[in-house]
Amino acid sequence: MIEQFFEGALMAFRLDTIMMIAVGLFSGMLVGALPGFTTLMAMAILLPLSFFLDPLVGIPFLLGIYKGGIFGGSIPAILVSMPGTGAAVATSIDGYKLTQKGESRKALDMALFASVIGDTFSDIFTILMIFPIALLVMQFGPPELFAVLLMSLVIIVSTSGSNPLKGMVMMLFGLWLAQIGTDPIGGVERFTFGIFELKSGIPLLPMLIGVFALPELVYAVMRNEKVGGFAKLVGKRLSMAEFKRCLPTIRRSTLIGTAIGIVPGLGQVVAAMMGYSAAKNASSHPETFGEGEVEGVAAAEAANNAVNGPTLVPLLTLGIPGDNVTAILLGAFVAQGLRPGPQLFEEQGSIVFAILVAMVLANLMFIVIGYLSIPFFARIVTIKTGLLVPIVIMFAFAGAYVFRSDTTDVLMLVGFGLFGLLARAAKFDVMPMVMGFILGVPLEYAFGQTVAMAGGTPLQFLFTERLGMVAVLIATPIIGYVLWRRMKTATT
Amino acid sequence: MIWKILKGTLGAALVATLGLSTAAFAEYPEKPITLVIPFGAGGSHDLNARVITSTIPTYLNQAMIVRLTPGASGQKGTQEVANANADGYTLLFSHNYADMLQQHVENLPYDPIKDFVPIARVNFAPIALVVRADSEYQTFDELIAAAKANPGTIDMAHSGNWGALFVPAAQIMKETGAEFNLVPFQGGGPTMQALLSGDADVTMGFPSVLGPLIDSGKIRVLASAGPERIYDDVPTFAEAGIEGDIGYMHRVVLAPAGTPPEVLATLEGAFTDLQEDASFQRLMSRLGENSDLLLGEEYQELRAGQSDAYKTLVDSITQ
Repeated sequence: MIEQFFEGALMAFRLDTIMMIAVGLFSGMLVGALPGFTTLMAMAILLPLSFFLDPLVGIPFLLGIYKGGIFGGSIPAILVSMPGTGAAVATSIDGYKLTQKGESRKALDMALFASVIGDTFSDIFTILMIFPIALLVMQFGPPELFAVLLMSLVIIVSTSGSNPLKGMVMMLFGLWLAQIGTDPIGGVERFTFGIFELKSGIPLLPMLIGVFALPELVYAVMRNEKVGGFAKLVGKRLSMAEFKRCLPTIRRSTLIGTAIGIVPGLGQVVAAMMGYSAAKNASSHPETFGEGEVEGVAAAEAANNAVNGPTLVPLLTLGIPGDNVTAILLGAFVAQGLRPGPQLFEEQGSIVFAILVAMVLANLMFIVIGYLSIPFFARIVTIKTGLLVPIVIMFAFAGAYVFRSDTTDVLMLVGFGLFGLLARAAKFDVMPMVMGFILGVPLEYAFGQTVAMAGGTPLQFLFTERLGMVAVLIATPIIGYVLWRRMKTATT
Repeated sequence: MIWKILKGTLGAALVATLGLSTAAFAEYPEKPITLVIPFGAGGSHDLNARVITSTIPTYLNQAMIVRLTPGASGQKGTQEVANANADGYTLLFSHNYADMLQQHVENLPYDPIKDFVPIARVNFAPIALVVRADSEYQTFDELIAAAKANPGTIDMAHSGNWGALFVPAAQIMKETGAEFNLVPFQGGGPTMQALLSGDADVTMGFPSVLGPLIDSGKIRVLASAGPERIYDDVPTFAEAGIEGDIGYMHRVVLAPAGTPPEVLATLEGAFTDLQEDASFQRLMSRLGENSDLLLGEEYQELRAGQSDAYKTLVDSITQ
């Protein structure tokens, strides 16, 4: 095994491999930064290219796109409050506040370093612990997923803001919005009023852009400043002292993200929010979170990137893709004649290790590529208002449309934009609503699966087979109450 | 004399019209063709389509672009193609369950038979019924006997109602009288994970997913689809006593009804050439897929039969 590892490590250090990783990282970052274009789409479109490349060039190239894309998504989240994915929502909370304070460059720097550190450590952990993780993954089924999702929602709402009741109302509203469309288990239509466009549910992207970005645009216009609709300055780069201050947070978020990556079906959105909530809760000054705290950016970004390592484990050890990104990687592997599965390590262990080493290499290279590109991105927000606002509006509408090429989505965007403005005027935070909406679908699905699995004997099922789920369910209200009390005493 | 001139003019006019019309269609395709997939990214249709679209441009002299339009179990993308211009520039890449079964379960905003014509069935995937290697069920008959003795206690993981795993399971239940507890999962990957982790007792899968797991001794196949055995010691569904078209997923390219015959011919020609293409064959076999072409009319006959069989199945379960 050790021999294969070193053999693999040497195989990854090839000029063409490194070049293609760089190309992947850079193009992934650009695609990820464009709202409406997801990393997943970029990977799917470029997948055929990897069919005709050497495995050690094609697969690292796709991994580069993936890693670049995740960071790319946080660029508009930080600069113009436009998170293109659910995973970037937590980043935009403090990231955009930093931009408004004229510190966009610092926020982007922090996002970059936190992402790379979170990702690198979770990758190394995965390489070292791949077989134990594979066993652990098997311990989580739909009942545990349901319990953990429910707990995540409770933690999000109890740490969300000064008024948990308002947060609760918004979260319940989000959970209701998630119900619209075809019920995921029984296939029954709910709240669609017979409108076909609603049958597949409310799309996430128009909601994200609508509630987060459109109100900011309206406010930028109302401020009526000539220079810099969003900020006047780009500010300084991240200092060493600030980086060191955030290290404990990055460490905590990396652990949280890696642990969440092991549970199949949780993913980056939960990781980012849990990392953020934990940092806020552990902080001696939780009141600065949400007001432009660089630690908030670090917490969210380290956590959502740390998910990446463990999510590859079922793919590499069993050949089972856990999500769409890993399904595309599976396609790239098999088209090269590499069949991920139990024998892959025995038969072609060195190539697998070479790919894992290439992942770590990609992270290190991304520090350089990202650090050099940030000043260009950061400057965007200082363009004069008359130019910047129309450009952002164009990207907002084009992004909402291009995701599914559906004009209904543009109407949804406007609707959610108005809703965002109203919520802000009434001092309701939209974040719990978005989280309720995003997590509502898997929550309901996991609940339905649990009910189906339990059959006619739910109590027997829970207490003989699913004690883990019971434990999490009992702990949830206690954790929620404790967090809420702590937030209340800290903020008042 | 006049007659002669008239005939000449008529002839010339005829030639001119014919010439014009052939000229108009000889151009097809003069711009890239969009292939709409009504399912999500990373699924088996997506991967198959990436292979097709990376090799077919050689024969069409134009690019073919994949557009993923998931939603409402495939209805969203299907409706989009049903409403598209019938000019051969918007095609649908679907499968038999989305194509022919859904009409019997729901009210669709399109009519699959009237609104579509098949161009090519690219390949098919035969499903197999599997249990964990340490399962107490050694054979298909043992499993069915157990499911009959204790109805609803054996958990069968499937990938969504009326999907590629649900339908064969329903057919087995209907034919044998056995009763499984059907538990849905989001796609084939999570289904297999549920089997391996013990959350489900039995599930089904396609060869591309099963291969490595069978080789490593983690799962056991109890029965498989198709007229011939896929795995030497494992009976087919027919041998196990279940008759009918069961457990096939046909991946099929369709065009909106009314597409000009010349355009259909060009497309059918390109898919025929694709079968001879070495890199298409290599990539498909690596994905674990076969390539077994059926052209439009041949597949159209299958569709009618599928529709009837699915209607009977749906009626027997829902009524």
